[in-house]
Amino acid sequence: MRGLFGVSAQFRAQVEAQREPLYRLGYSWCRDAALADDLVQEAMLRALDRGAQLNDAQRLKAWLCAILANCLKDYYRRERPLDPLDDEMPSGGDSPETASASSQLAARVRAEVGRLPLGQRQVVTLVDLEGFSYAEVGQILEVPIGTVMSRLCRAREALRARLIDFAAGQNNKIRSIR
Amino acid sequence: MSQEREVSQEMQNAFVDGQLDAADWTALVERMGSDEALRRKVCELRTLKDMVRGAYADARPRRAAPAANRRGWARVAGLALVFALAGWLVHEATDRSHAVAELHGVAANGIVVHVASSRGEVVDTALQEVEDYLHDARAAGRKVRVEIVANQTGIDILRTDKSAYSTRLERLRAAYPNLTYIACNQTADRLREKGVAVRLLPGVHVAPTALDEIVKRMQQGWLYIRA
Repeated sequence: MRGLFGVSAQFRAQVEAQREPLYRLGYSWCRDAALADDLVQEAMLRALDRGAQLNDAQRLKAWLCAILANCLKDYYRRERPLDPLDDEMPSGGDSPETASASSQLAARVRAEVGRLPLGQRQVVTLVDLEGFSYAEVGQILEVPIGTVMSRLCRAREALRARLIDFAAGQNNKIRSIR
Repeated sequence: MSQEREVSQEMQNAFVDGQLDAADWTALVERMGSDEALRRKVCELRTLKDMVRGAYADARPRRAAPAANRRGWARVAGLALVFALAGWLVHEATDRSHAVAELHGVAANGIVVHVASSRGEVVDTALQEVEDYLHDARAAGRKVRVEIVANQTGIDILRTDKSAYSTRLERLRAAYPNLTYIACNQTADRLREKGVAVRLLPGVHVAPTALDEIVKRMQQGWLYIRA
């Protein structure tokens, strides 16, 4: 057990300011809103606990994302005996069938991102949602940059195969409404 | 970049993600001018990137910190919560008396002990240290308050059907009325959503989230210790 040591008010405010981006990532990774809340809470507590370890304030967001990734890893280690990193997930969470027409595309995209193996899901969301460079993603996930690029390729190829035609159909619908 | 070679998918991705250096970026732009298939692929990648970004644009935490706590986060450091407590409960059992002695010198209004795991070694250590601390404080005539805040799998220690510690917790609570148990409602909700009936031990209080409770106590000058 550790006490909480000398982190500044500014640091705490900066950590708090990252709650929403962290949640967005956590939700995209675990596909479970309540679990994402828990993971973000745990990540923020760990960040407070380890604030003194962050040497470069410019890296705060990436550092928090790395903590969040470790929280998820710990969760899977505790709750699931098999590492889900390379497993293709069944479609779950968001259901295209239950989504309203206006959010159907977003729900479908979330469902397809959710089907990606965790490693690919993490890479594509870190790049697309939070705009991290490949090098930063490699540091966050503790994998070589080549792995980041290959996972991203596989993720985007899978998403392209499943979504491009669907997206085109949605665009046609929108045009017909207009 | 050779005109003859096919542009790899890695390069296409790096282009839409802004990861190419100037020379490769220029070469790929020039290549796209004469390669319709490449233009289409890059366009699809851009579309996918926008679709992923848009799909999560509205994702918000369900339990964002209330306004009071948002202010509290910024105020916490102002409460001089820098305690010279290097390692209470970090110590092994042989160092326990020394560790607890260190804690006695800390001028905190209370101690909030965060238990996020139901692993035996974590819970056993936490409960033993809490008991030692309360015992020593009573013997010294010091008024102290201690809260054990449990979330994630740690909440199991406070559940009637899961806890391996119910007797010990009840004995501790009976012996020390200044000891309180708090369960994280967010964790409980998550279990309920999975169809789990969450029943807590008698006398266990519920906080909206463990984070909220810990920050609230820190605002009040309590010391935070993580199991």
